[in-house]
Amino acid sequence: MSEQKPRKSIEKKMPKAFGWMAEYQDENNLLAAARKVRDSGYTKTDAFTPFPVHGIDEALGIKPTILPFIVLCAGFMGLATALLMQWWTNGFDYKYIISGKPFGITPASIPIAFELTVLFSAFTAFLGMIALNSLPKFSNPVFSNPRFDRATNDRFFLYVEATDKYYNRESVKELLGGTHPDSLDEVLEDTTPTSLPQPVILALLMLVVAGLIPGMIILNMRAGFSTAPRFHVFFDMDFQPKKKAQQQTTIFADGRIMRPQVKGTIARGQLVEQDPFYLGYDPSKLTMLEVSPSVIFVSSQTQAGDKASADTTSASKDEKTEGQQPAAAAVPVAPVLPWIDRLPIDTDEENMKVGKVKFETYCSACHGFAGYGDGLVHKRADALAQGYWLPPTSLHIDRVRNQPVGQIFNTITKGQGKMASYASSLTPKERWSIVLYVRALQRSRNATMDDVPMELRTTLGEDPKSSDPKPEVTNKLEITNK
Amino acid sequence: MNLNYDKASIEIPESWRAKAPIILSAGLIFLVVGMACCFLVPSKGGDYTQALKYLTHSYLANFFYIFSFALGALFFILMQFLTRAGWSSSIRRLAEILMMMIPYLAILFVPIIVMLFSGSSALYGWNASPKDMENSVIASKATFFLTKEFFTIRTITYFAVWILTASWFFRLSRQQDESGDAELSSIRQKWSGPLIMVFALSVSFAAFDWLMSIDADWYSTIFGVYVFSGSMMGFFAMMIILCMLLQNAGKVQKFVTVEHFHDMGKFLFGFIMFWSYIAFSQLVLIWYANIPEETFWYRVRLEGGWKTFSYGIIPVHFIIPFLFLMSRHIRRSRTLLAIGAVWVLFAHWYDMTFLVMPNAGSAEFFPLFGHSLGGIGMLCIFSAMFIQRAAGVPLVAMRDPRLPEALSYANPIL
Repeated sequence: MSEQKPRKSIEKKMPKAFGWMAEYQDENNLLAAARKVRDSGYTKTDAFTPFPVHGIDEALGIKPTILPFIVLCAGFMGLATALLMQWWTNGFDYKYIISGKPFGITPASIPIAFELTVLFSAFTAFLGMIALNSLPKFSNPVFSNPRFDRATNDRFFLYVEATDKYYNRESVKELLGGTHPDSLDEVLEDTTPTSLPQPVILALLMLVVAGLIPGMIILNMRAGFSTAPRFHVFFDMDFQPKKKAQQQTTIFADGRIMRPQVKGTIARGQLVEQDPFYLGYDPSKLTMLEVSPSVIFVSSQTQAGDKASADTTSASKDEKTEGQQPAAAAVPVAPVLPWIDRLPIDTDEENMKVGKVKFETYCSACHGFAGYGDGLVHKRADALAQGYWLPPTSLHIDRVRNQPVGQIFNTITKGQGKMASYASSLTPKERWSIVLYVRALQRSRNATMDDVPMELRTTLGEDPKSSDPKPEVTNKLEITNK
Repeated sequence: MNLNYDKASIEIPESWRAKAPIILSAGLIFLVVGMACCFLVPSKGGDYTQALKYLTHSYLANFFYIFSFALGALFFILMQFLTRAGWSSSIRRLAEILMMMIPYLAILFVPIIVMLFSGSSALYGWNASPKDMENSVIASKATFFLTKEFFTIRTITYFAVWILTASWFFRLSRQQDESGDAELSSIRQKWSGPLIMVFALSVSFAAFDWLMSIDADWYSTIFGVYVFSGSMMGFFAMMIILCMLLQNAGKVQKFVTVEHFHDMGKFLFGFIMFWSYIAFSQLVLIWYANIPEETFWYRVRLEGGWKTFSYGIIPVHFIIPFLFLMSRHIRRSRTLLAIGAVWVLFAHWYDMTFLVMPNAGSAEFFPLFGHSLGGIGMLCIFSAMFIQRAAGVPLVAMRDPRLPEALSYANPIL
């Protein structure tokens, strides 16, 4: 509208004209008029109706929009984004076993692919519609005509814009006049003042001020001090009428809220038979030690990580001071439990597979897939460099390698240091399977030529393509299955 | 309203009526030959258990295939009144005729009931003698719910519900042909809501009883919706083809416009998507939970030579028709829409085969060939029934108060 500013001083008072607008009483007249205008070659036209009129787009000569194709492209983009994202995170960058599901694209990826397709399409359709219609448009010159108010009520309007290629003021007037409109008006520039009214400015200012209030309150809370007790929004949630462990009560005669086990019962999961399979040591040999059960209990707790139980004092030096065990003397001498050194399960492929799966599910997060103590949790903690991270023990240090299998089993069962107990997650058989797998890992990392099957010895280190000949044997299963 | 129309233009073509007996006999021949093919499977010395299994499963799949068109029509009618739709007034009578085929089609279910009472467990394993099921997990289900008596009672109930609903709506529609009373539309509008709920429940339970109980160990609560979505898809394909065939024979030309085809095409497209959504919903829960008692249903469909066929349902029933019918230009083109509709009719038969046939046994050539012949036979029988049902009924509800809207509306240009 800025291109043709009237320069002549006489026309200064004359408001600018934007086109002609005809008014009709019903949609049939409108449709007929619209067809006539369309057939006369005008394209910059528009119709305003109180309700959707069937066929109006065809009568106005509106061309099909390109929007569906844009939406289709956006849909495919959403699909590709979803699939790539899931393949990248779960199948490539951060492979992680989640309840045994396969990596990468699985049926579980499809809902996300579906949702992202819909999301991309919907947003594109909505924003594309707005953009293609050049919205938002805060004002339209047709509003300057007071009759136009009835466009939302009971009147139909047809508007021919002055920007049309073939626009000629007189001929358009004649054309529209021939369609029997109720009224025919030239659409003129709105001459009412365009500055914001005073009350609106005031209201906006007040809104801005009101918007500052929450920020001020938060600032006050953060910077100030208060001795008033905390306000409890949900009092009965903060103070629940229940008892917690170790609390007292008047309900029971002994005053304890924790109830002792009923005589003659065994709590779920507490059935520990006096068998090496469940204990990791031979209870029948305990009598030779002549110690009280409580000492045995404590020993099995502290000996889970062998003498390195004193590691808390020299945590960061753990790896370097490995062989010396400097703090061992400071610990009260506990009897060495009679750990068993033969696996109570069969050394077969089935158990090895169970051990591998369980190890990779539960242990590898910290200890790493190869057992070097370089799992993802460790890498992440290391990257954060917070200073107090105790690295997971490598399973290939001498201390662990020399432990009897019973002791490793005990570590998994009871936990050690930061390592939690896995007794509730793994059955004893699964724990023994992990021990078996750990043994296999250890052997594979310290293998000699004797461990390599005869038929493979000649091929070792012969591959000319291998740029990084590794001395260790990496095929664990092969060795242990011999 | 004065509509100039030739009365003959809204009647079933004479040539069709003349051909009806031929179509019916051809259908019966196809069906019988198809059944006979099931016996060509290698059997051990006169033991036809396996052949009977193929035969009964094939019959059930093909029966439900054509029955689903009538079921879809019933839902379509209820839906049109529920939403007070005007656009469909001119094609509604055709759907009403399809819906009124339910009593005819009910006859085709009689053999299944007869088979149950003859003590055969070829189709429904729960119908075996209690001794045979002693160690089976379905034994507990087969004591009350899945017994031939209760099954028959339920089947009769479903048919009663559908037939009563359909006949009542049809009667009111025919009355309106005479009187043009708008009140007759209002009554149907008022009752369409409650009846659609009854319909939903009955279809769901019928799907459980007829189709899901062929594998009584397995259950999927979404199964009823699955069957419903496929049926609606099949119905719209059938409607499109029906309208086109009638127009080619010179009938209802003024009453079914390109806008109607476009809208039916949209419904068809929508129900393809809906079916895929439901089918996948069923799959993903079972896949994720990974419980043997649920996954084996898919396992049955991936073993015994069914693997290619079962994976084929993804392109046949979803990818190909979905992409093909996506464009507005295709839905507005007679030829292309006809191709799409015929494909969807095939896809629906494919889906029915997928649902039923793997439970009969491994994928053998002759039973599957016989099953295909049976499908063609059933379609012929369906066509003959339609011609018989449509005889003497105007193909357009001429005095429907919403007819002017149906004849003048237009889809917006997008």
